[in-house]
Parts: sequence; C-alpha cells; structure tokens
Amino acid sequence: MKSAALKRKRSSFDMALAPYSVWALIFILVPLIFVAYYAFTDNNFNFTTENILRFFTATSNVHADDGTMVEVRTYLVIFMRSLKLAVISTAICLLMGYPIAYIMARAPEKTQKTMMTLIMIPMWMNFLIRTYAWMTILQDTGILNNLLGLFGIDPVHVIGTEAAVIIGMVYDYFPYMVLPIYSIMAKMDLKLLEAARDLGCGSVSVLRRVIFPLSLPGVISGVTMVLIPSISTFYISQKLGNGKFLLIGDAIEGQYVANNLHFAAAIAFILMLVLLVAMAVVKYLTTRHVYGGD
Amino acid sequence: MNKMKLSSKIYSGLIFAFLFAPIVVLLFFSFNDSKSLSVFSGFSLKWYKELFNDRNTLATVRNTVILALSATAISTVMGTAAALGIDRLRSKWYRTAMKTVNDIPMTNPDIITGISLMLMFVFVGRLFGASNSLNFWTMLAAHVTFCTPYVILQVLPKLQQMDKALPEAAMDLGCTPMGAFFKVELPEMLPGIFTGAIMAFTLSLDDFVISYFTSGTGFETLPIRIYSMTKKTVTPKMYALATIIFFVTLGLLLISNFVDNEDNKRLREMRKNRKSTYTRQDDTEENKPTSGKFKKPVAICLVIALIAGIFFFGSRSREPKVLNVYNWGEYISDGSEGSLDTIAAFESWYEDTYGEPVTVNYTTYASNEDMYNKLSSGAVSYDVVIPSDYMIARMIKEDMLEPLDFENIPNYQYINDSFHGLYYDPQDLYTVPYTYGIVGIIYDANIVDEADTGSWDLMWNEKYAGSILQYNNSRDAFGTSMYKLGIDINTTDQSEWDRAAQELIAQRPLVKSYVMDEIYNMMESGEAAVASYYAGDYFTMQEAQASHVDLKFYYPERTNFFIDAMCIPKCTQNKELAEIFINYMLSEEAGIANAEYINYASPNRNVYENETYIEDMGEEAMEILYPQLGDFSELYNAYAYRSLDSDMLDYLTTLWETVKLN
Repeated sequence: MKSAALKRKRSSFDMALAPYSVWALIFILVPLIFVAYYAFTDNNFNFTTENILRFFTATSNVHADDGTMVEVRTYLVIFMRSLKLAVISTAICLLMGYPIAYIMARAPEKTQKTMMTLIMIPMWMNFLIRTYAWMTILQDTGILNNLLGLFGIDPVHVIGTEAAVIIGMVYDYFPYMVLPIYSIMAKMDLKLLEAARDLGCGSVSVLRRVIFPLSLPGVISGVTMVLIPSISTFYISQKLGNGKFLLIGDAIEGQYVANNLHFAAAIAFILMLVLLVAMAVVKYLTTRHVYGGD
Repeated sequence: MNKMKLSSKIYSGLIFAFLFAPIVVLLFFSFNDSKSLSVFSGFSLKWYKELFNDRNTLATVRNTVILALSATAISTVMGTAAALGIDRLRSKWYRTAMKTVNDIPMTNPDIITGISLMLMFVFVGRLFGASNSLNFWTMLAAHVTFCTPYVILQVLPKLQQMDKALPEAAMDLGCTPMGAFFKVELPEMLPGIFTGAIMAFTLSLDDFVISYFTSGTGFETLPIRIYSMTKKTVTPKMYALATIIFFVTLGLLLISNFVDNEDNKRLREMRKNRKSTYTRQDDTEENKPTSGKFKKPVAICLVIALIAGIFFFGSRSREPKVLNVYNWGEYISDGSEGSLDTIAAFESWYEDTYGEPVTVNYTTYASNEDMYNKLSSGAVSYDVVIPSDYMIARMIKEDMLEPLDFENIPNYQYINDSFHGLYYDPQDLYTVPYTYGIVGIIYDANIVDEADTGSWDLMWNEKYAGSILQYNNSRDAFGTSMYKLGIDINTTDQSEWDRAAQELIAQRPLVKSYVMDEIYNMMESGEAAVASYYAGDYFTMQEAQASHVDLKFYYPERTNFFIDAMCIPKCTQNKELAEIFINYMLSEEAGIANAEYINYASPNRNVYENETYIEDMGEEAMEILYPQLGDFSELYNAYAYRSLDSDMLDYLTTLWETVKLN
C-alpha cells in the first residue's frame, strides 16, 4: 500500500520536472550553442579561431604611470579590471550584507518582514534611474559634497573613480546578497546555537563554527548573484565611472553596436567559460555544505 | 531574540540610509520646477501632471508590469515543480545535470543570456519565415528563463532542510500523497516560493539588458524607454514615476502586512482551540505555520495578474489598424508642458479623415546602431523609422528601405530645397528629412575666458583640465579630434585615424568625463565647463542652469552637420499608412510641436517660416539653430558623417578601446 503510494508520488514528481527540463534545453542550452557557433565563425559563417585568438592577442599602446608607452593586451587588461572591481564589490556586499541578514533573521517576525520589504523596495525603482540618482549625489558639486561643506569638510572627489563604480555596484546588487543569506538564516535551528553555547562556545566561535558553516549555501548564492552582474555591467561604469573605465561588458556592447557580432560572441564565450569553470570549482569545493553530501 | 540590540538598530539604520539615499534624491527632484536632475529651481507638481498626460510612458509601465507578472507566474509554478522534481530525483546524473543547467542563467552575465537568446530567436524566426520573431512572447520566454533558476534556488534549500520523514509520517497517519504534499510540504516550501516569486518579479521588473536584446516590434518596457533617452535627457517625469511606484509599493506592502496580522490573530485563536493538530515541534511564535501568512499576498498577486492579462489581451484584440513607429528616445512631442501630443493628434485626425481608428505603436532606440541591428536581424517589422543620414546611406545600399510614393506625401513640397539631392539619398527616393542640426561647443562663461573660445582648441585647452567633457561614443569623439586636425572625417586612411586617436589620447588627462546624456547634469550644475554637443540641446541646458553658471555656445571652424530623416523600411506591413503618417508629421501643427519639443532645426517651411514658431523660439535660438554659415548642401556634403565599411568600423572600435585604456 504505502510503497505503491510512494511510487505514484515519485513518478508525479518526475513529471513535475519535465516542463522545466524541456524549457532548460530549449532556452538555456541551445542558445549557448549559438554563442559558440558565432564565436567560431567569421562573417560568412566559415569556421575560424580568429575571434578567440584576437581576445588573447590584441594589443594597445598605453601610457604607463611614469609616462612611458607600454604595450598591453587589450582585452586581458579589460577583463582583469572588470574582475577586480567585481570582486571588491562582492566582498563589500558580503561584509555589509551578512550582519544585516543575521540581524533580520534574529529580529521579531514583524520587524523581519518590514526589513525585508525595505531592502526590496529600492529594487522596484528602475535601476537606470537609481544609478542616475547616484550621479547627482556623488558628483563634485553634488549632494554629498554640499553636505560635507555644511560641516566644513573639504569636498571629496568620488565620481569618475573606481570607488564610484564600486559604490554603484554595491548599491545595485546589495539585496541579492542579503536575501539568500537571510532566507537560510531564518530557517536555522536555534537549538544548535544554544547547544554550541552550552558546550562552551563564545559568540565569535558560535559564528565561526556554527552559524557561518550553516549559512554557507546562502553566502554562495549571494556571492554568485552579486559577482556575475557586477563583472558584466556596462551601465554603471558608464554613468558613475565618467565613461573612463572600459569594462568587459562595455567591450561586448561596443562590438555589438559596431555590428561585429562574431567577435562580441567570442568575448562572451570566453567570459562565460571562465565564469562557468570558476563557479563549478566553487560548487565542487562546497558541495558537502550546500547539498548535504549526497 | 525578540528585542533588537541597540548596535543592531544603529547598523540597520546605516544600511537603510545607504539604500534609501538615492530614493530620497529622486523623490526630491521629482518636484523640481525645471527639467534638471541636479539643479533644484523650485517646487512644482508639473512632472506628475505631465506623467499622467503621457500615454506612451504609461503604456511602457503597463507593459513592464504585465511582463513581470506573467514571467513571475510562469517561473514560480515551473520553478517550484522543478525544485520538487530535483529534490526527489534518484538518478544522480540527472540531478547533477539539472543543477548545473539551472546554474547557467545565474552564472551567465545577462548580456550573454540576452545575446544568445536573440541569436536563437532570430535564427528560428528566419527558419520559419516569420517577420515578427521578436515580440512579447520572446521577451516573456527570456524573462521566464532567467527568473526560474532563482525560484528553484529559493525553494530547493527549503526542501533539503525539511525532515524527509514528515510527509511519510503524514501518509502513515492516513494522508493521501496529495494531502501530505499540501498539508506538510507546501507550507514548508511557501516562504521559499514566496521569496522566489518576489525575486522573479523584481528581476523581471528591473531587467534592462536581456529585454534590450530580445524586445521586438511594438512592445517596449520602461527600462528600454529610459535607456533610449540617452541622446536627449532623462526627465524628472521618470523621477515622478519612480516616486509613485515607491508609494504604491509601500502602500501595498502595508496593506498586506495589516491583512497578515489579522490572519495571524485568527490563526492563533484557532490554534488555541485545537492545539497540536498539525504543528510540529514546539509551537512557539517563530515556528507558526506559514500558510496563512503567505496565502493572501500570493492570492492578491494572482488576481492582479489575471486582471492585467485580461486587460492586456482585451485591449489588443480591439485594434484593427496598427502603425509601428521606431524613433530616437525623446524625439517627438509628447504633450508635455502644454505641447501637442503629435501621436495622439495623428490618431484622432486619421479617424476623423478616414473614418476608421488607427493605433500607433511607438517604440524608441538609443542609437542608429541599435535600430540597425534590430532591423537587419529581420525579426521585427516597423513601418516608420527615423535614422540619421550615414545610417540611411548604409540601409539604402543594403536594400533595407522602400522607395516612397510622394503622391501620398504632398507636404513634401514644404521641405527646403537645400535638402534635396544630398549624398545619402541623391535621387530623393527614400527619405523625408525630419530634423537637422550642427554640432557646436558649449561653455560656462563664468569659468572660460572669452579669448579662448572660437575653435576646437578649447576642448584641448589645459587651462580647463578636469572641466572638459568628451563624447562617450567613438564616432562623435573621433569627429571632434578630426575636425580639429582638419582630417576628413570619412577618410579610409588608417594612419589618419591613428593621428586622430593620438589627439584623443593626449586629451584624455584633461577630460573630466566621457558622456552622452550625462552632459545635461554636468553642464547645468557647473560640474563641467566645456563640452561639444548638438545646438538644440544647448537651450535645454541653458534653461535649467544653476545660478552660478552662465552657458554660452559657438560653432567652431569645421563641424558636424547631421540630418535625421523619416524612412519606410522593407519590413513595413502598411506602407500607405506609413506615408500618411509621414505626411502628417510635416503638417504645420505637428511640425511645429515636434520642432519646439526637440529643439532641433527643422527643414520644413511650415515650421521655420511660421511666425508663432519664430516668436516661441526667440531671437537667440533662431540665430543658433539656423545660422548663416554658407551654402547648406555644400557644407553638409563636406562635413557630414558617411557610412564606414565594416573593416573601418572594426578598426575604429579598436582605436576607441585604446583611447579608453589610456
């Protein structure tokens, strides 16, 4: 009786997965084949590795800090810069977001809901508009410097620096860090914390040995959800970086606008590969935390 | 655990101050009296009034919400089902495969997801010979594709945290499998489903990049509309819209909180009466069943989705004749500040004249290249497009435009003779000029010495280092340096382009910012003092300038002339209607309204000879917009951009990247 019921149940769960399996095949996997196809063909759709090679070999002559001219690999430099800004932004998001997720999870239920609402609300206002508002705040004659002026503090130059781009990224992607961590923490069994304390753990030690490992799945999704969009953004760097920071997203968009779809696809293909491998490594290293070691 | 510590409160306060700082800013500037987003000149509610008069913007809001609700509904159902399926999978291989595939849209930057989907939609569309393969449905599919993984990501951990013995216990106690699912598993999953749904909705609402690549004919969302304002300026109208969204959201959430509290009260009472029927473990505050808490918002969302859906499809089916117009952002009079809404006026004029209704689907693009990429993909069908000259030349060469039937455009007679036989359309077969303009230099007379003005050298003058703005698009930026050096801007000699690039690299340390529409903010507020831009836009900036700023304008020795003209692409579905529309745009009322709204010069005698128009614009504006620089067609043919071939464009893109890397 029971096993028959379970079996029926199991097959209905298999059915539940079917629509998404088909969907994922058509809308996730097949499009990637198109990216690869474009990356490895020329304008007449003949096979070529030129686009891929160009990413690694193209060079530019640029002024070094001491004024001399040096030759650099254009796209590798752009890529490393994007990676740097994205990693810094993600780290800041995590440092700022983890405590707030923790506070939320520990707050009275009504407060939790209010706080979650408050974190989500800014995202319902268009991200282009929000970035625009940051321009008004950060520019040299902007609101921030006017406020500082009121207190007699010298104006700071933020807009057009890497710091401004990072502020924009942190701001725009912050909720994507907080929500997954919060959603794991809210479910955490409080008895474990009490047990740890009873067994003599100090609060730092509880955090390090109990809370953090348990929240790791949330941290990983948070990091993923912040790192990926910040590595590929092109709007934030244009608006807050004063257009002076060419990021990898700008490069792809620039090639698309020049109607150079095959090279755009090649850059996209390489970026995609790097990120997929990086994420696979992270997943592999943390599998036992994320999926309970099955 | 019920009380928050003071340190927690302070920390939360700081975080929320950070999150809401820009919101406060946009709330504040939505009440600005002028068009500026950085100089506050007085309190006014006019942008709210304008917003409600702006049919087009409201339509994009409607589209955005419909798309987000539909995508949320589909991805929540499909994602939840998939999470259940993945959780139960026995085949380890299948399970790993599903998880890996599900990670792809999240580990893939949205620009790649967007491009890859577009490539596929276009390819499949061509396979089946569809003329409209990019449309609402492709956008919906794209949104569902990037939303569903987030739902799964939220639901799956809930399932994995759940005690697997619970549903079995329920079944042992006599529940059917379905019953066990609804009574035990679903309540456990609900917080995850709810968070997932909210995430999906938020992502979809906010998405720009993927929509940008997969959008097609006649369905424009708000982010696309805002992005295509980057040649003109983002208006406080958009801030007003954001403010309204803010208060509506806040209101809805307060209501839902209130409803929840009532719900919870009832639940608690219920539970007091028949304790321990379905609660597990200790029945404390934080462990109360979540079903009651989340039923209402979910139900509300579904009802809204249903109504919106009916509204959407209902309104679709009653539109017999549709004209799809594709234009630059902010490039037609939209009825703001008491002007004529030319699209609405055309619709009612058409109905009066021909006795049948017509609907104009108006969508916008940010650059000629955007428009070209969409049209050349063959996946859209527009009836009227308004590209610039060099793009028109390319489109004619590639056989993308229809010759016009001038019988249907009698108002063409009012076009100034200088606009006949220009290089991009030598026989005047394909185009009707819409606006034209000349690039000049704008400077702040309070900072810049009058003696330094007059030529392009001002943009390279070290005295004003850190106050100079340069274009953030390669062709225009190279243009400034080539005019300065006296190089032919359409040269095919690579070494000449190299020279121009060197000049831009030399200028880079002096440049404050590479800008498009940001120029408005920066010049108005005095953030920058020197910039090159289109003559008409100078008036917009001057109107909104801060009190310590005094903007002036001049034409340097050689400079860019441009013409934007109305054309009918080969993909048109209704050529005659398109021609009637073009003709109407040349009429006195529409022509003047557009010219006054856009602030660019008009080639139309109905406009530039009209007394009211001349008076409205004022003497200074007329002198700047219609300068006596010499023979227009001669200057135009010498200094206008021409279409570069793809090798040259590629070279230019590479040089531009080098300039940016320096």
